[in-house]
Amino acid sequence: MTHQKTPMNRRSFLKSSTLAGGGLMISFTWLSAFKYDDKLNESDLPQWNELNGYIKITSDNLIKIINPNPEFGQNVMTSFPMIVAEELDVDWEKIVVEMGPHDSVKLGPQFTGGSNSVRMYWKPLRQAGATARRMLMQAAAQTWSVPVEEVTTEAGMLYHKKSGKSGTYGQFASTASGIPVPKEIKLKDPKEFKIVRNSKKNVEGAKIVSGQPLFGLDYKHEGMLIAMIEHPPAFGMKLKSFDASQSLKMPGIKNVFRLELYPEGFEQGGFDTRTFNDLLVVLGNTTWEVMQARKKLVVTWEPKGDTVDTMGSRNGKKAVNVPGRLESTSAQLSEMKQYADKPAQQLRKDGDPETAFKNAAQIIERTYNAPFLAHNCLEPMNFFAHVTEEKALLVGPLQAPGWTEPTLSKILNLPAEKIEIQMTRMGGGFGRRAYGHYLVEAALISRQAKAPVKLVYSREDDMTYGIYRPMYTATYRAALDADKNLLALHIRGGGIPENAIHPNRFPAGAIDNYLAEGWQIPSNITIGAFRAPRSNFNAAAEQSFLDELAEAMGKDPIELRLELLKRAKENPVGKNNEYDADRYAGVLKLVKEKSGWNSPTDKKYKRGVAAYFCHNSYVAHVADMVERDGQPYVERVFSAVDCGIVVNPDAATNMVQGAVIDGIGNALYGELTHKEGAAVQKNFSQYRIIRFHEAPKKIEVHFVQNDIDPTGLGEPPFPPVFGAVANALYKSTGKRFYDQPFITKLNELSKS
Amino acid sequence: MAKRYYWPKKAIFLITTLLIFMVIVMSAFDREVPYTKDDQTHDSIASVTAFTQVYKVLMSPRCMNCHPSGDVPLQGDDSHLHTMLPRRGKDGKGLYAMKCTNCHQPENTPGVRTPPGNANWHLPPADMKMVFQGKTAHELARQLVDPKRNGRKNMAQLIAHADDDLVLAGWNPGEGRTLPPISHAEFKKAWLTWIRNGAFAPAP
Amino acid sequence: MISLNINNKTYSLEADADTPLLWVLRDIVGLVGTKYGCGVAQCGACVVHLNGEAVRSCVTKVSRAIGQKVVTIEGLSEKNDHPLQKAWLELDVAQCGYCQAGQIMAAAVLLKENKQPTDADIDIAMAGNICRCGTYLRIREAIHLAADIQQKSKKR
Repeated sequence: MTHQKTPMNRRSFLKSSTLAGGGLMISFTWLSAFKYDDKLNESDLPQWNELNGYIKITSDNLIKIINPNPEFGQNVMTSFPMIVAEELDVDWEKIVVEMGPHDSVKLGPQFTGGSNSVRMYWKPLRQAGATARRMLMQAAAQTWSVPVEEVTTEAGMLYHKKSGKSGTYGQFASTASGIPVPKEIKLKDPKEFKIVRNSKKNVEGAKIVSGQPLFGLDYKHEGMLIAMIEHPPAFGMKLKSFDASQSLKMPGIKNVFRLELYPEGFEQGGFDTRTFNDLLVVLGNTTWEVMQARKKLVVTWEPKGDTVDTMGSRNGKKAVNVPGRLESTSAQLSEMKQYADKPAQQLRKDGDPETAFKNAAQIIERTYNAPFLAHNCLEPMNFFAHVTEEKALLVGPLQAPGWTEPTLSKILNLPAEKIEIQMTRMGGGFGRRAYGHYLVEAALISRQAKAPVKLVYSREDDMTYGIYRPMYTATYRAALDADKNLLALHIRGGGIPENAIHPNRFPAGAIDNYLAEGWQIPSNITIGAFRAPRSNFNAAAEQSFLDELAEAMGKDPIELRLELLKRAKENPVGKNNEYDADRYAGVLKLVKEKSGWNSPTDKKYKRGVAAYFCHNSYVAHVADMVERDGQPYVERVFSAVDCGIVVNPDAATNMVQGAVIDGIGNALYGELTHKEGAAVQKNFSQYRIIRFHEAPKKIEVHFVQNDIDPTGLGEPPFPPVFGAVANALYKSTGKRFYDQPFITKLNELSKS
Repeated sequence: MAKRYYWPKKAIFLITTLLIFMVIVMSAFDREVPYTKDDQTHDSIASVTAFTQVYKVLMSPRCMNCHPSGDVPLQGDDSHLHTMLPRRGKDGKGLYAMKCTNCHQPENTPGVRTPPGNANWHLPPADMKMVFQGKTAHELARQLVDPKRNGRKNMAQLIAHADDDLVLAGWNPGEGRTLPPISHAEFKKAWLTWIRNGAFAPAP
Repeated sequence: MISLNINNKTYSLEADADTPLLWVLRDIVGLVGTKYGCGVAQCGACVVHLNGEAVRSCVTKVSRAIGQKVVTIEGLSEKNDHPLQKAWLELDVAQCGYCQAGQIMAAAVLLKENKQPTDADIDIAMAGNICRCGTYLRIREAIHLAADIQQKSKKR
């Protein structure tokens, strides 16, 4: 048992008056249940007794758990209630789950991203469950006039064994809701877990397989109009003039107007990234009508020239210059090459790398490149907004309501309490939906149109109007002595418009002479978080380089990594090493064992290994590649994951498998290029997403068993896939591939 | 024509060459081809010349992409394997959830690289694959007149095939796709010239 | 006025004959289980059954559906108990879930035409449906399981 202070204040435990999304929703419900679908109708009854922001119980013992965090497939709608239910001690199959609205007072940070959901909420949710249970016990003790210590619970029931008294949580919920929140609470020992660590099915599964409304695009509101945006055809362009006369004659079209997103000098937060500021809005009755009317617009665009963004920071406002040039991929690559040869900003230095390189018997130098990537969430960006002078209602897919609300408040000039944000299930996120500019767009359109509006991006809008994974490059240099010992490592990384270098991560700490440098080239192409930002490139470059290094040193690639980790553990270089060498080595050892690394049974597979640490978790993969018709396919993968306690093992396995497939797809095929500032790939006919037959047939996921509080999982399995694929591809083709996507170079080679 | 080759030496040389050429061509020709001889005069040179034009068209992506050597259609101006790897199926109309007309509509879908359309979109059936991909002009010419390999078409049907709806679709390929190297009218003329002059195959 | 038979119900509605069936279903009829993913028949999120074939409703003009039988995910089974739906739940296939209606509708045609599909058959049938979350492994497993469920229910 662990004693915990309960940091929630009284306010977050107050009974709520209204919680629902508001408006008239057509068959759109925020409630879900794994079983007992019939209970969902009963839940319309308003007799909920709120024990805290996460738990409500009716007198007839219907138990509702509120999920605070936006759901984008990481399965928090299920795993969060599991954590609450564990400490509350209720029958999992009898609860209903409701997606909570944005309410940071009651429901915390509500941020889906950075593999943070379970990490952030692990303790608050357990405390919510445990304190509510305690309050129910106290209510029963008061009613039965027995000491609270003698009251026990089991699966939503309260017992006093001595007197033989018993009752449901529901019977005591009303009384319990008036009892002060305990100042301290005992949480369960992980060994006592009955729900957590036992796989539970997705509470929204039944809705998903039957096509019920769940997603932002599914949301409907009475009188709702559809809005689409015409954006400049290229980064660096802006709207000059337009003629909408033909569009306005099209059936179902209500209006066409110009929209300025942020006013001049608007102080942007880190997640206020927006791609274009000056937009053209087409408003109509249905999506198809609006799509057709867009084709009739006559628009003139012009170069925007250099501009200045105003960024807010802890130290006040900062001006960021945004170049106006129209960029093309070929020019970007050659510019990156020029930068790569110059000394850059030093990010970390250990020992004397310069001397080590001077004295080296052998220097291995390799440069790695990776393109921009589009998130390509299968549900394109969209949001519903109904904004009046008094208040705003916004409904849709969003990862970070807490970051978008202050922006909305400033731009709409409405106090935060007048802005209601309800998060729908998201058709994918991958970081893209942490940037709430499309809510601001929807809100401003609604305000100007004086109507409820759903803003919809087409696939082409979504892909060409992105907040992409940046374009990265890195040069890795290793100095070896005559006996093939590693003397020094030098990493110089850059990118457009940021570099990816994590200077304090492995192999930093394991090498005496170490230098990490970084540079960047400013750009008007908008970038943002993409599943494991920066790590998703580093793991490709670093893990591929380590493989090549191992070969040059005559070592097994896993053994080399383990040796370096042993050094980092026993005699670390430098003080600021972000990783735990034991846990890192742990996943490598586990994957080595599970994949039969030392004695592979099937020789048809060409194997590649990689491991990486990010979001406080450790993952190693062995990718087994085959060749069919001259094309490489990863057919089998072994994964070892250390993310501490795994709340919902089957769903966690699913997520790791998905990350592996996503990684293979992006390593082999993913690429967004630009020509004269315009994204070349506009739809899936040009942007290659991994398909069914290209995915592995088997992905075996093994979790390290420990009682460490949960760490990240959505992102950590993704980066090392790139390295494992690169290393398997080397074994399969005999050639090293340094530039992503690998398939491009491979096909060039096979043609020549 | 005759006037230009009045001089005996040249005429003899030319006739000899022509005869040799014809012998080669005829010897390579499948004699079982039941084309109707009627009163046509056969000009093998004109026929073979016309076929050069026909061949260019048939080997262009617009025709060849649906006459692949494997069971997956080709796609794009570079004739890569159709992404999503749809299969021919027994009747040439695809398999399971991947039937041609699930995506290929009766008409072209607007936009760049969207599915081109035709109500009868299909590949040749599995028992008569009518492969163009990888075929030499000689092989293709022979194949086209062989009812065992041309979809059981006699000469009249072969002639009519130039105006087949799906053949015509090649000249209406949708945005962003190159047209066959010559117009449909030119193609049809070459096609008819080739057939009416005996449907000779170029030398192997 | 257009009359459509969707999930065995008749709907009379106003729509331009060129409107894709997808948008008629979603914006006019109000059946939103059929998803928009790409609009150009690349991703498969919009698959519905038109006379039993897995057409992509984003490129299928509504005029093609007039007088024909349209089935959407909402009408695949009466009690959401199609073997595929059962298998999808049993194996908890979905992550974000957005593509799954299209996946199930595509798989339904496969299972109808091939009672015991092999891995190779599944590859052929499903290569047209993108899952951005990467649930392909479970989709494969679920199709095999659904085939077994289908087989068993027949024997009974």
